[in-house]
Amino acid sequence: MSRIYLGELEELILLMVALLDKEAYGVLIKEELYKQARREITISAVHAVLHRLEEKGFVKSRMGGASAERGGRRKRLFSITAYGRSAVEELRDTRDLIWNLIAKTSPS
Amino acid sequence: MKNSPLPPAWIDSLVDHLAPNDLSEEIRGDLYELFTKDVQERGLSSARRRYVFNGIGFLSKTFFWRNRGPGSSIMLSGYFKMARRSLSIYKGNTAINVIGLLTGIATALVILTVIRYELSFDTFHSNADRIYRIVRVSGDDMSEYRTGISNPVPAALREEIADLANITSMQYFGSALVEVPDSTGTVIRRFREERGCAMVEPSFFEIFDFKGTRFQWISGNPKTALSEPFSVVLTKTLADKYFPNENLLGMTMRFEKKIDCKVTGVIEDFPPNTDFPFTILVSYASLHAIAGDAFNDWVSVSDDHQAYVVLAPGTTKKQMENQFARVHAEHTPKDIHESRHYLLQVLHDIHFDPRFGTYTGRTITRETLLALGLVGLFLLITGCINYINLATAQSTMRSKEIGLRKVMGSNRKNLINQFMIETFIIVLIAGIAGYGLAEILLLNLRELLNLTPNSYNLTDPFVILSLLTIILVVTILSGFYPSLVISRFNPISALKNKFNSGSAGGLSLRKILVVMQFSITQLLVVGTFIVVAQMKFFWNEDMGFNHEAILSVRLPDRDPGKRKVIADQLHAQSFVSEVSFSYTLPSGANRNRSARDIGRPEASSAKDYLIFEYQSVDPYFLNLYQIRLLAGRNLAMSDSSGNILINNSLAKNLQFKNPEDAVGNELKMGSAKVNVVGVFDDFYSNSLKQGVDNMVMAVNPRAYAVASVKLNRQKGSLSETVRQIEKIWADTYPDNVFDYQFLDENIQAFYAQEKKYAQLFQLFSLIFVVIACMGLYGLITFVVNRKGKEVAIRKVFGATIANILVLFSKEYIQLIALSFFVATPVAYYVVDSWLSNFVHHIQLHWWLFVTPAVGVLVLSLLVISAKSLRGARMNPTDMLKYE
Repeated sequence: MSRIYLGELEELILLMVALLDKEAYGVLIKEELYKQARREITISAVHAVLHRLEEKGFVKSRMGGASAERGGRRKRLFSITAYGRSAVEELRDTRDLIWNLIAKTSPS
Repeated sequence: MKNSPLPPAWIDSLVDHLAPNDLSEEIRGDLYELFTKDVQERGLSSARRRYVFNGIGFLSKTFFWRNRGPGSSIMLSGYFKMARRSLSIYKGNTAINVIGLLTGIATALVILTVIRYELSFDTFHSNADRIYRIVRVSGDDMSEYRTGISNPVPAALREEIADLANITSMQYFGSALVEVPDSTGTVIRRFREERGCAMVEPSFFEIFDFKGTRFQWISGNPKTALSEPFSVVLTKTLADKYFPNENLLGMTMRFEKKIDCKVTGVIEDFPPNTDFPFTILVSYASLHAIAGDAFNDWVSVSDDHQAYVVLAPGTTKKQMENQFARVHAEHTPKDIHESRHYLLQVLHDIHFDPRFGTYTGRTITRETLLALGLVGLFLLITGCINYINLATAQSTMRSKEIGLRKVMGSNRKNLINQFMIETFIIVLIAGIAGYGLAEILLLNLRELLNLTPNSYNLTDPFVILSLLTIILVVTILSGFYPSLVISRFNPISALKNKFNSGSAGGLSLRKILVVMQFSITQLLVVGTFIVVAQMKFFWNEDMGFNHEAILSVRLPDRDPGKRKVIADQLHAQSFVSEVSFSYTLPSGANRNRSARDIGRPEASSAKDYLIFEYQSVDPYFLNLYQIRLLAGRNLAMSDSSGNILINNSLAKNLQFKNPEDAVGNELKMGSAKVNVVGVFDDFYSNSLKQGVDNMVMAVNPRAYAVASVKLNRQKGSLSETVRQIEKIWADTYPDNVFDYQFLDENIQAFYAQEKKYAQLFQLFSLIFVVIACMGLYGLITFVVNRKGKEVAIRKVFGATIANILVLFSKEYIQLIALSFFVATPVAYYVVDSWLSNFVHHIQLHWWLFVTPAVGVLVLSLLVISAKSLRGARMNPTDMLKYE
């Protein structure tokens, strides 16, 4: 297993990107994050994390169409890469594995 | 979208400027989207606050700063660091380059400002391209170019030519005695204006609307203010001067102690870039009221009575001139309209055509502007040449650095970039300093350049843009070639220092550039030398009369009694040696002229007559001015105006073989018969730029308008003398301004423009010589440094210091000598065509070219020797012990 460094916020946002499925972009991710996880973070932080994820190859992006609500400016749409998908799955598997171990060793 | 609330704009521009280009769009998009939502949920002010907060948030993120194209900013700052280092290593060179370029840039900016100002004259009127001045071209060969038209002409044209869109006539007086009376008619203020007084029609402001300037009417009705006779409109400056803190509309002003006018309007001062220097605008209708008879006279003309027309769109100049000819022919006898033609001159040309002149008395030819522009360009080029020369020479010293860079993986592009940035830094420094110097130069050279404080503005976007363009172009021009040379080095030979400068491409180009630079310099120096020689000639040439220590005073009235009193009182003073009254002065820029026709008794048609200048004098005139009498006798007070003196030219032109033959002859002056009682020697009533006119003198006391006072120079100081004369003057003419001038100054005023050119060219040549010598100094420094070992070895083998000096200077002396042969033909051509403007000018002797050239050569030799002497004196062991 290769080592994957994914911070907690990074993981959350990566999951949001996966959830929103190709429609993910800054503002929507920020709102979805609040809806799903009650996490309020600034838009600049969202951008920063998305950049980091893209650098690490977990997400890819393309420029979307312009819309009036954005003052005619285009948005950058993010979607999860296969590598990103396998990375979160791997993380989930690791966690599951550990949880199973926890469940076995310490009966409630 | 229009009504939607807007987020704080400064955040947007902050993001746009700081964010990487590919990111700002999405960031601003997201910010905006959040903003619109916030506006709905929280209200505008909260949304705006959050917008700022969110926007600032981005500035704290590293990604925001990082991704400016991979690594380029680091590289760029590296270039700047390297450039700064290498510039500070070669401090001498950097200084030479900066000084050369900054002088060039400053001068170029100044010249650009001047050219732009001169080209802007009267371009702002709405229909400027359809406005024409009516000019008068006369003579059988159409050789006399004047401006004035007879008084009745404009009205006739207006009535008899249907497709004339507009026409306006004007009479310019220039000087005026202005008095401000109070309500009882007593004069409370008195002023003498030297310029600006004119009579204009209301249509003046229809044609010349000064659109696009700050000109406007402050009070009064533009349509009616100038329609009644004896109304006057003042510019703001004069209104404040004559009527400080008063409501002046309806007030009375008195001109020349005779004519009362009512103030009907105040206008903003005209901009400085107009050839209509009017400040006191009296209604043209007043001229009808004062001199109604003149409006039936189709023959007399005054150059200051002019008319301007606007052609209807589609009408050509030629069509209109034909119409003029038709109207003119209907009103005048054959000999007038066959020899005199009213033609059109487009407004754009007025400022640039010295044949006709302007009310300001100043024109500048487009050739002069071109010459100025070339000088500016040449200065920039010499600056660039210095840079190229020094940089390529310096490149041999830097070969190790460059070799090492190449070895370390620098490619050609990197090296070119680096060198261009070095160049850019130098040019930028020079540009900024040059901008400051331009400001200083403009401040100090205003008078020389005919500028006024408000006729230029260095913060104008045009000037800034020009400066940026100059910086950019100069950077590319001077940086490109050296950067190519440097980047071409082969790293191995560069590192081994085997670099053979003798065969490098840089050197042959360097030779060409040195020749070019010195050719330009010599061209200017030779030109200046000859211009100055011509000015000396203007000064020192005998004008045929004595003009030293002569004071002229305008006579306020024609009263013979007062004249007698003043003459007696002046004669009684020890510092006055002679007094004479005449219609006008014998010569000078500031004088009146009166032209008439004269012919042999058998003369019948206009062709048989000669034009001459008529002068009324008293018997003391010839003696005071030491004008030689060639034949006959001087005039006496008892002579009638039928007894005349003629000058030698007129005698010759009237076909008298000798002056003696003319004496006693009868001539026809107009229709009157006159007797020649004497012939006087020719003197220059015009400047030496022109030839000698025919001239007649007679005694006609009613025409006396000026007193000439010959001063006795030994007695008392000049200012004290003038003060005493003024006192005597005030006793006899108490209510007048003492209006005097020294004849010397008056004559010098002929050459005011030439004098300015001479001064400008002296300044420019000085700059050229200094820049060229600095470049030479820089070059020779490198040669001395590079050839240090060679010199040492030569000295060891017995070479003398003289030998070594020759070694260093031979090449450059050859180049400078070569540039002399390049420059001389060009200089000859330019100077010859300039001199041909003047009837009397110096002969172009060979030494006029050789003297300044030798001067330049000696100067450069000094520069070279000063530096190479140090190299030659060096102890050879010091040079040789390090290997």
